[in-house]
Amino acid sequence: MAILVDSETKVLIQGITGKSGLSACADLLDYGMKVVGGVTPGKGGQEALDLPVFNSVKELVSDLGPVDCAMVNVPPLLTLDAAMEAIDAGIPLIHIFAERVPVLDTCRILYRAKEKGVRVLGPNSVGAISPSEGKVGSIGGPNAKITFSKGPVGVISKSGGMCSELGSMITNAGFGQSTVVGIGGDLLVGTTFVDVLEMFEGDPQTKVAVMFGEVGGNAEIEAAKLVAEKKFTKPLIIFLAGKFAEKLPKDTALGHAGAIVGLDSTMEQKVASIKKSGAILAENFEDIPGILKKVIK
Amino acid sequence: MKLYEFEGHNLLSKVGIESPFFVACSNMEEVEQARQRLRFPIVAKVQVLSGKRGKGGGIKICTNEKQLLDFCKGMFGSTFADEQVRFISLAEKAQIEGEYYASITYDTTLKIPFLLFSKSGGMDIEEVKKNSPDEILRFDIDPFSGPNKKELFKNLGDEKLVDFLVRLWDAFVRYDCRLVEVNPIAKVGDDYLAVDAKIILDDAGLARHRDLDVLQKGSAGAVPTERELAARKIDEEDYRGSAGSTFIEFGGDIAVLASGGGASLLVMDALSEVGGKPSNYTEYSGNPPQEKVEKLTEITLGKEGLAGCLVAGAVANFTDIYATLAGFCDGLLKVKPKPNYPIVIRRGGPRQKEAYEMLERFAKKEGFDIHLFGPETPISVACKKMVELSEEFKRERPGL
Repeated sequence: MAILVDSETKVLIQGITGKSGLSACADLLDYGMKVVGGVTPGKGGQEALDLPVFNSVKELVSDLGPVDCAMVNVPPLLTLDAAMEAIDAGIPLIHIFAERVPVLDTCRILYRAKEKGVRVLGPNSVGAISPSEGKVGSIGGPNAKITFSKGPVGVISKSGGMCSELGSMITNAGFGQSTVVGIGGDLLVGTTFVDVLEMFEGDPQTKVAVMFGEVGGNAEIEAAKLVAEKKFTKPLIIFLAGKFAEKLPKDTALGHAGAIVGLDSTMEQKVASIKKSGAILAENFEDIPGILKKVIK
Repeated sequence: MKLYEFEGHNLLSKVGIESPFFVACSNMEEVEQARQRLRFPIVAKVQVLSGKRGKGGGIKICTNEKQLLDFCKGMFGSTFADEQVRFISLAEKAQIEGEYYASITYDTTLKIPFLLFSKSGGMDIEEVKKNSPDEILRFDIDPFSGPNKKELFKNLGDEKLVDFLVRLWDAFVRYDCRLVEVNPIAKVGDDYLAVDAKIILDDAGLARHRDLDVLQKGSAGAVPTERELAARKIDEEDYRGSAGSTFIEFGGDIAVLASGGGASLLVMDALSEVGGKPSNYTEYSGNPPQEKVEKLTEITLGKEGLAGCLVAGAVANFTDIYATLAGFCDGLLKVKPKPNYPIVIRRGGPRQKEAYEMLERFAKKEGFDIHLFGPETPISVACKKMVELSEEFKRERPGL
């Protein structure tokens, strides 16, 4: 069983004629995904990689029928309008790729999505993959089949690079992944660590979860709370990155827009709440395969 | 981007929020000129980005000229909360009848903006939260329609105060703020004035406010370094991928070109763990074009006294490793004097093998000391190697 995506997921790509849209589309097709078409305003009637291009999401849906996932691959300042279009067309899952979407725009997207019961993955998300089932977004790029392999480990990271790094590390250690989810590194994201853990809890394929945590925000503390309250009952391994940054002035942002020193909680508070909750804190990143060997019997 | 208080007041004035008349001064001459336009008592406030100015002695109510000049002379150029004082604002002291607190920011768990209001203004809000949490009112905000005016009026019972708070929301939305905080809001007669202004702009929103008149700030310090400004320009000129948006200088001797928001944190932790002293923090990601990596390399390695360069990142998803590392080579050739210190590269992802073959040829041809590690080598191992090579390099050149 897979969470978020499987081999039957029908995908449309907004911004399909752009550079990132085209390359994501090619990788999806290569992975065997059902990409039904794309949207680029003003380019309706054209084709991209032999797929039909429409002027709007509404036109695409009325022509091709219901779609399960809209991938928004447009520049950051155009993301609000594109995502609103997909939400209003009733697409149940929206993946947002762009980095540097203004937080107000994200907030409005997520607010409207919540009202309409739409799940948003991102912004600034690399996507999600259930190895040998399906994927959305740019996760794994052209190497998705080499980096990821099917298995019992659920993986969650804000960072796209670390999704691949973890996938590769877990694959090389002889385990595979159930689903790997890049939730995005922004201050506000549609799908959080907690949301994914709740999905992993209900997924029989997932036996253990690995989470790549970062400096800033409350997400790791919320996840630890879930473990403490027995709402996530499988082993959870958490690694925390960005300890060096604790020496920097409060409010310094690093790489990810949400990695803000001292925002909501400190590293120390995160470590304390993880240790107290019963989740496993990986002191070193390369300890993760060893811990996996111990918890998967 | 954090704003100075005086920049915050200027921004708030654009939505009709007034402050007591003030003049921001950057030297004693300006102080003496400003003094002619103001009546004593004058409130002099150092302009620094960190809070707690009152407690730290950065605010003085001056009743005569000598007090004012002595305070400003002592403060200009001095270090206040790790920051050099470059500006002091002078304002006439208002006849305050009441002090309140208000702020708007995002709740990252509920993912909505919210307004906090307290009748205990002028105090540290964290202390109010601890000691008398009942005094703080919280209003959740619909990000489309803004605060509910009826609800605000029901709780506050003052039309003008409600108007002030709605204007605060206007500023928050119109200028893409991450935080607006006024502490205190002063009641002067029937009016409400912002006596302080703490504003943090959303960096991602800056692209829509190019006309906003604010000073450039550093990623970590108040004043950006030259290298930091040069690095920031790379993304401003080309939206594809990102390179150098965050650039922090640390003063160590190992230059760092990390990749990816998450991996860059891991790299810095791992390098520090084994005793490496990074010269900087920066990262590129999202498949930036070759030229952007070239520019970032030139800027990062343009520093004197380096004893190593670490190019490290995770297994990339869609970043073209060949193109980005070719950009690194282009940049390397431009650095003067030619880097003779060890260079450690650890990457994985699309076209990594091709890239490494190219790098081996490049190192041999151009005479660079490049050490290559693929995805099978943990990032921490590459960091350890970097520190060992760098130590060896320094031993061989004791003058460095």
